[in-house]
Amino acid sequence: MISIQTNDVDIGALIIAAKKHGTGAVVVFDGVVRDDNITEMELEAYEDVATQELEKIARDATEQFRLLHVDIIHRIGRLAVGENILIIVVSAGHRPEAYAGSRYIIEKIKKGVPIWKKELTKDGGRWVPGEHGHGKGHR
Amino acid sequence: MTVKIRFFARFRELLGTDIMSDVVAGTMFTSLITTIAKKNPEGYTAIFNEKGAFHEFVILMKNGKRIDIADAAKTPVADGDEIAVFPPVAGG
Repeated sequence: MISIQTNDVDIGALIIAAKKHGTGAVVVFDGVVRDDNITEMELEAYEDVATQELEKIARDATEQFRLLHVDIIHRIGRLAVGENILIIVVSAGHRPEAYAGSRYIIEKIKKGVPIWKKELTKDGGRWVPGEHGHGKGHR
Repeated sequence: MTVKIRFFARFRELLGTDIMSDVVAGTMFTSLITTIAKKNPEGYTAIFNEKGAFHEFVILMKNGKRIDIADAAKTPVADGDEIAVFPPVAGG
């Protein structure tokens, strides 16, 4: 499942679904809202483009690391401290591919998928600074 | 012809989003965004530098494909295009 959504997901159910024939390892990445003296976090996405880019990242990771299953669920909207932001579930025959595939996916998301985070505080809010490629088209 | 302009994150807060703009044939990406951004000085300076060029960190898209800043001034927009302008991404 590749999804940008407001609702949370059942990670346990995703793990069960990821155990395709031949699976020897499942790696779960769960990015959560950290308590950096914030009240909430607000997430925004360019949804159509972000979904297409997540799908491409999943395809590339599957091919490169021989993954058997990939889920990427990125949440948007207002999230409280401790809530899940991003869940990545991958399965592979062996742990090196599963770990490497999971790491590849999160780093690609951080680098290029059009999603933004704003930390809401008692005094207002601040956009989390993102990485940038100096205005270069890097697709 | 009509073009849809989408700003995101801080740029959206300053300039709005899903702006439908009537433009004449031959309008270029940079000139269109310059015109729209000038409606709010703070929005303009968030996107453009003192020389009127895009800040190096600004990301541009036309119909979901990235446009290099260096090409934007000579990239025409067409009827039905969706133009997006946004700051560096910070997902994950």
